[in-house]
Amino acid sequence: MTDRIFAAVLLAVTIGYAVIAFTVISAPFQYDPLGPESWPQILSIVAVLCLLYILWRPDDVTMDLTRSVWFRLGAAVALLLAYGRLYEPLGFVIATILFGTIMALMLSAPRWGAVAFGVAAGVLGWLLCVTVMDLNLPEGAVVEALLETFNKEGN
Amino acid sequence: MDTVLSGLATGFAVALDPFNLMLVLVGCFLGTLIGALPGLGPINGVAILLPIAYGLGFQPEAALILLAGIYYGAEYGGRISSILLNVPGDAGAVMTTLDGNPMARNGEAGRALSLSAVASFVGGTFAVILMSLFAPALAKFAVTFGPADYVALMVFAFASLASLVGKSTVKTLLGATIGLMLATIGIDANTGVARYTFGIPDILAGIDFLIVVVGLFGMAELLSLVEHQARGTLKSLPVDRSFVRMADLAQTKWTIARASVIGFFIGILPGTGASVASAVAYGTEKRISDTHGTFGTGDVRGLAAPEAANNAAAGGSMVPMLTLGIPGSGTTAILLGALLMFNIQPGPMMFAQRPEVAWGLVASMYIGNVALLVINLPLVGLFARMLTIPQHYLTPLIAVLAFIGIYTIVGNPHDLFMITMLGVFGWFLRKLDFSLAPIILGFVLGGLFEDNLRRALSISGGDWGILVQNWKSVLLYLLALLVVLVPVVLARRARKVAAA
Repeated sequence: MTDRIFAAVLLAVTIGYAVIAFTVISAPFQYDPLGPESWPQILSIVAVLCLLYILWRPDDVTMDLTRSVWFRLGAAVALLLAYGRLYEPLGFVIATILFGTIMALMLSAPRWGAVAFGVAAGVLGWLLCVTVMDLNLPEGAVVEALLETFNKEGN
Repeated sequence: MDTVLSGLATGFAVALDPFNLMLVLVGCFLGTLIGALPGLGPINGVAILLPIAYGLGFQPEAALILLAGIYYGAEYGGRISSILLNVPGDAGAVMTTLDGNPMARNGEAGRALSLSAVASFVGGTFAVILMSLFAPALAKFAVTFGPADYVALMVFAFASLASLVGKSTVKTLLGATIGLMLATIGIDANTGVARYTFGIPDILAGIDFLIVVVGLFGMAELLSLVEHQARGTLKSLPVDRSFVRMADLAQTKWTIARASVIGFFIGILPGTGASVASAVAYGTEKRISDTHGTFGTGDVRGLAAPEAANNAAAGGSMVPMLTLGIPGSGTTAILLGALLMFNIQPGPMMFAQRPEVAWGLVASMYIGNVALLVINLPLVGLFARMLTIPQHYLTPLIAVLAFIGIYTIVGNPHDLFMITMLGVFGWFLRKLDFSLAPIILGFVLGGLFEDNLRRALSISGGDWGILVQNWKSVLLYLLALLVVLVPVVLARRARKVAAA
């Protein structure tokens, strides 16, 4: 059943892909026998055939996950999205400390171990990547503002 | 022969440069560490570290040497978690658990680890030697390939992929097609027409290769780790002081030789890497030498065969990537993508045009194999410690590394969202028994496949007959047919024998 649902969703996407290939894409003028639309057309036909086969004869796979596992996966994805969203505003160090600590706690790490891990990942990660390897990581709008006021007060 | 020798000389000059030498060692060491981590295999390791290696701004040959070191280092390290934990890092290490883990449970963990290190070394070295002999010749032959022959070659690659990789042929084919479809997003280079960009400027140049790789292999792996968290902690067997004996080597020398040959040639087949090679080598060895039914209970030959084979396959799968531009495995598909990011088109001309990259890589593999043996025999205890790293720290660490890599290269927070969503998609695909390697292979080869097809038809003025006008392409189509039919026939015959 799971296989069928997934195939049906993919089939809808593929049909959308095919419609665009057959109607929208076209070159204003061309000399070659195959235009930009031909290859997507071929691919969409192959994909539709494969998906119809799966719909006709699905494998016997099930998502045998308990509710708590689903919850943990959902929480992990939410955390990852939040981490990505806060990456630039908070900056690498703070975002990583928060993400590392909360994620480790969620995966049932001991409380102080999780905090230590988060801080180590954020601070050591910054030192290693930015100071030693000279990679480009976000400092963070908040941190930047703080540093600026700090510098002004210093003057 | 002369070209091989002078090529090797060029290569060793590159690989022995102190900086590159250091990168070989660092790559091998990191690779072994990653391979030893339970659940992480070579493909995840290379995927997670690729953006960081790219961001460091190395020369192409240096970055490639580092990544290749990680690749076969991880192939080496995979045996540690297979033997001590009974948890293979990836499909290529599954066979190692069959006899490796029983040996460790019998109190011979040290012997199993050192024997498998020697077997890996022999398999890997054998593959590199064959590679340096064959690759230039194959490249010279491949120069004569026209667009139509390339189309046939791609069909052969996807046919062997569909028939040998994954549980379901249709799902593998669909996966490859999804990869090919992803590759069509962006501006068509021939006509300048935008395809599937929906007016989003970020994807006009196509979806970034790194985002697909890190999303499908890094983030999907992370979600699998989160999923399996609840199933209790893993218990590692201790490393004892036992060591490989001369008698073991004498007993396994033919096993290792056979498995190396099998591994190398299966590795060459496009799309089929270490997993198929180690399974075939183990099966063959069981048929030939398991006269007392000791395989599966800790037989040294059952351990040596898959280990020699998967390292030989890692070398073998480099051959089509370097000479034809067609990767031999999922991991080499990632290396191929890495080369393309450096504006190097792997293929028949690479040995002639960029000898420092092609031969430098080959030479670094000779050095890497020796380095791995030297690192692995005394330091195996250290690597075994990696097994006890708690999963609740490892999992967030993967995300931190993946984010650093993607942000450093692309510098756009929107891409962090993209890799997370691709990770969710990849996790679903894996739950439904899709294997992810075909997708990445399709994605990497998409442009080449389409270009050659269009060029072939331009040459013929729209006549599809050009695709079968040449003996080379006809031969490749026949081989493709063979690769698809042989497993079906064998399976049917096996069923008949079982029924009788």
